[in-house]
Amino acid sequence: MAHLSDGTLRRMVDEPDAHGADARHLESCPDCKARYGTVAGDARVISTLMTAPELKVDVASAFNRVRTAPAARPSFGFRLPVMRPGSRPVVLAFATAVAVIALLVTAIAQDSNTFTPQTLTPVPVTMADMQALSQLSAYGTVSWTKQPQPQIVTSADEATSISRLPVPKVATLPTGVSSTVTYAAMGKATAVFTFSTAKAAAAAAQAGKTLPPLPAGIDGAQLTVTVGPAVAEIYGTINAAAGSDPTQAAGMPQLIVGETTAPVATSSQVTVVQFENYLLSQPGISPELTAAIKAIGDPSTTLPIPIPVQFATSSSVTVQGVQGLALGDNTGVGAGVIWIKHGVVYGVVGTIKRDDAVNIANQLT
Amino acid sequence: MGTNLGVRRVATVRPDDESFETLFTAEYARVAGIANRVLMDQHEAEDVAQEVFVDFHRLHSASAQYAPAWLHRAAAHAALNRLRGSRRRQKREVAQAAEESDRVLDPQKLFEVSEDRRQVREALARLAPKPAAVLVLRASGLSYAEVAQALGVGIGQVGTLLRRAEAALRKEVTRGTSL
Repeated sequence: MAHLSDGTLRRMVDEPDAHGADARHLESCPDCKARYGTVAGDARVISTLMTAPELKVDVASAFNRVRTAPAARPSFGFRLPVMRPGSRPVVLAFATAVAVIALLVTAIAQDSNTFTPQTLTPVPVTMADMQALSQLSAYGTVSWTKQPQPQIVTSADEATSISRLPVPKVATLPTGVSSTVTYAAMGKATAVFTFSTAKAAAAAAQAGKTLPPLPAGIDGAQLTVTVGPAVAEIYGTINAAAGSDPTQAAGMPQLIVGETTAPVATSSQVTVVQFENYLLSQPGISPELTAAIKAIGDPSTTLPIPIPVQFATSSSVTVQGVQGLALGDNTGVGAGVIWIKHGVVYGVVGTIKRDDAVNIANQLT
Repeated sequence: MGTNLGVRRVATVRPDDESFETLFTAEYARVAGIANRVLMDQHEAEDVAQEVFVDFHRLHSASAQYAPAWLHRAAAHAALNRLRGSRRRQKREVAQAAEESDRVLDPQKLFEVSEDRRQVREALARLAPKPAAVLVLRASGLSYAEVAQALGVGIGQVGTLLRRAEAALRKEVTRGTSL
């Protein structure tokens, strides 16, 4: 019989009775016996070194603390499981900008009170815009009447049962993309933003800025935005889901295919022109963004997709018979395509080429 | 004007909130124990344990089969990360140990215990994440099968990983103490 491996010897230290043939070999082999001595000695020393002071936990009160933990969810926008910790501030600012632009469009679409987009259009967003817009969230109170609860689920069927959306099927994956797939799903989430002139004044004062004159009646005006339900298929590893372990964050997903019901928004109390002018008069908003928003032909049916000007380029493409928006380039560093059809927004993004993203999009069933 | 504006406070109880409580009750002591094995501080260990459960709850279903393994792994890694980022803490502890040693009957002995623990923790922080996690999980009383699940390796590999990790830690500790 060959000599026992270090691993086997180590296990025999912990489970001396469970190794019939190995135990007999050990008994008769001076070589293995000597190595067993070293292994067992190290194990004993390490076990002593690793002793820790006894822990007395009160599970019930710990559970209460967790249940009431306020820091669990950001106040506006929710964290995606794939987000790298280092990129969070930028992404959060971006998410806030997206949310605020949704509110902005809502206001523009006031004539019909509800905003249910049918088409989408790119609007250029600069870092300064994001900063200016993310401050707006300090101008009132955001409350979720229905919290976003993104979850990782075990199958496409489970994702569908949570979201009631069919999970899109990818026909063929580009080479280099792992076929390991994870499903995520989220039910509907609803946020209400209530303007407060007092909070707005305080926030502006703290930032050392002068508040643009507030339109009459904006105090207490409410905007209700409903997002989701949504489903996503994530190809590649998503070990980073824990969010607490940067050593695992290297395993970024390679491709995400997502689908969500287009956001629906309703509003009260402020007039279109007042609100639009008010938001666009915020210090820091670029003339490009203002121009792009003002150029939207039918704001009640158009979803603006903010494109950070420093990071991405966009172009118009035809996807699944409708007009879509392609982002990124053909270098493979990152690209995506987004389109809207029958009130559902679809997206395909990943560390793939732009043409691959468009192909996947066209072949989705 | 909008008509759909009644701000209703909708209870946000998820269908699996009950199973989350069951999972929490079953695993909390062990998850906190794993973190305590690394941090040797009850307060910090419970902090890590609660973070881990909140993270889990946000993204996973409590009835998922992989739940305990996920929690064990996350507790080990989160605690080790905290350890790696805590140079300041170590300084504070040396001061604390010195302070404590003024108060007890055998100051020399107490100082030695605390000094040993500090060295072991420093050595653990220098190990690669996987060997460090193997040591922590096994020392926290997880079986070979549980360690294998937490780390996503075959049960046959645990002995080998453990042996290598122990040899590595021993070397690190020796290097640290210059004994």
